[in-house]
Amino acid sequence: MEILVCVKQVPDDSVKVVLNGSGQPAIDKIAPVANAFDTYALEMAARFKEANGGTITAVSIGPDEFKTSLKNCLAVGADKAYVVTDASYDGSDSLATAYVLSKAVAKIEELEGVKFDIIFCGKETTDSTTALVGPELAEKLGVGVVTCVTELALNGDKIDAKQETEEGYNTIEVAMPAVLTINKPHYDPRYPTMKSKMAARRKQIPTLTSADLGTDASLVGAANSAVKTISLSEPTKKQAGIKINEKTFEETFAKAMAVMTEAKIF
Amino acid sequence: MSLTDCKGIMVVIETADGAAKSVGLEMLTPAKEIASAKGTDVTAVMIGEGLEDAAKQAASYGADKIITVDNNDLKAYSEKHAAVLKELIEKYKPETVLIGATQNGKDIAPIVAGKLGLGCVTDVVSMKLGDDGKIVFTCPMYSGNILSDNVIDTVPQIATVRGGSFKKGEPKDVELPEEVVIAESMPYGDIKTTIKETVKEISEAVNLEDAQVIVSGGRGMGSAENFKLVEELANVLGGVVGATRAPVEDGWISRAHQIGQSGKIVAPKLYIACGISGATQHVTGMVGSDYIVAINKDEDAPIFDIANVGIVGNVMQVIPAMIEEIKKLKA
Repeated sequence: MEILVCVKQVPDDSVKVVLNGSGQPAIDKIAPVANAFDTYALEMAARFKEANGGTITAVSIGPDEFKTSLKNCLAVGADKAYVVTDASYDGSDSLATAYVLSKAVAKIEELEGVKFDIIFCGKETTDSTTALVGPELAEKLGVGVVTCVTELALNGDKIDAKQETEEGYNTIEVAMPAVLTINKPHYDPRYPTMKSKMAARRKQIPTLTSADLGTDASLVGAANSAVKTISLSEPTKKQAGIKINEKTFEETFAKAMAVMTEAKIF
Repeated sequence: MSLTDCKGIMVVIETADGAAKSVGLEMLTPAKEIASAKGTDVTAVMIGEGLEDAAKQAASYGADKIITVDNNDLKAYSEKHAAVLKELIEKYKPETVLIGATQNGKDIAPIVAGKLGLGCVTDVVSMKLGDDGKIVFTCPMYSGNILSDNVIDTVPQIATVRGGSFKKGEPKDVELPEEVVIAESMPYGDIKTTIKETVKEISEAVNLEDAQVIVSGGRGMGSAENFKLVEELANVLGGVVGATRAPVEDGWISRAHQIGQSGKIVAPKLYIACGISGATQHVTGMVGSDYIVAINKDEDAPIFDIANVGIVGNVMQVIPAMIEEIKKLKA
């Protein structure tokens, strides 16, 4: 089974992002991590590989610094990793990103002499949260897609994917090759061990550029993206009301009830 | 598709058991405003089975034209819906396609965007017509801590709209518009997925989006047993129970009750947050509430920054006392 996992490096999402003086997200002081949903995808891929055999390749589009999270991926299940770096890709929207990823898929397949059976993506990233790239990649590749997957099983030359829905779940059969976008499963991603970290450190992460991928320059980057962000803002803060913290519970509660009764909220 | 050919706003209304989902009717409000400013119209599109009542709903909330694709094949949402929507967009050439940002809406939008090479934005919380005649779509990023204003260069353009972001209009008692297109089938093309099984784990109807009162519990409730107090308080207030992610993940309550970035977005008249710290992930989903009461023993909890009334205290003391007082008030 040849498996590709798409990983984006994002600012740690447990830290609140604000805008800096020039109106851009102040993220340079926030630790970069692999997008949480991508780590679930990698863990699901690793378990699938343990059950069915195969090789897991991780790929990121981004600057050289993205190798930091790719090294971590190599320590928790990925066998190989590639980073796709090119200044012309900066500011690409989801459609342009899906296009670059589709070219990266073809290039990595050529370099490794394989065809990917399953491409895993997180269901969304915690930074831009568009949830668009996975299905758009599937369309570019002309393969099937199942979104919001929390479990999967091999079924001959097909995959049975458990898709979380608003009311429960669907079991969806999809022919391989396929793209799956992964939601949080009922387990957590594994931790690296000293040994797996050492092994990951020794591995090379080749860099692919637009020249390697043969991407059309008129289809990538901020200027050629369909979606253009014109400004960023912080949501208007709701005014805090009254906080009641008297000496005893009885006093606090009586005061709170008085305020709420006066506001006629019940 | 060329720019001059495309006009009007297509609002894709999802249905459940023959009724339009709220977000579909909510989207008609901004769609009508923008369409009227641009001198064009709003077409409601429904794909499913048994859509007559939903079509009437769409008409009563102001859709100028209605297209239904009504077929037993389309009863449950699947890849076929995306194939049908693609056909409809190519045939009717709208300038803008609005889709509710439900799970199915967020599945269909990127598939259609990918098929047609159209720009797409997700989870729109507000939209307005810019001076240049382009719609500016506001979308949350970084767990809702930052909002981005976006325009889309392709025509048509696609946006998924977050439920609760717009108010439904007043329904009018109208007949179905003259222009109703009913298509029984459309080509699906190459279908790559098959739904083998659909399981409804959540049987209760949880209508958080339309609730006037919501009582929500967080990790601070401590246990499934204690969480029952949240339900009891909701009952005496005639409200609906909400929850943050933690109680859902710990199995104290079903996923249908989750409020926040990965759950429902709500805006009731009264929101009581019990044992909720106020992480952005949750606050994003409820900050639009008219009146917020927060109960938390940690006086530095960020939930107090957005609460109208913050009660610093133990939920196990405060909630039972509140239940008693409200029972007296209501007696």
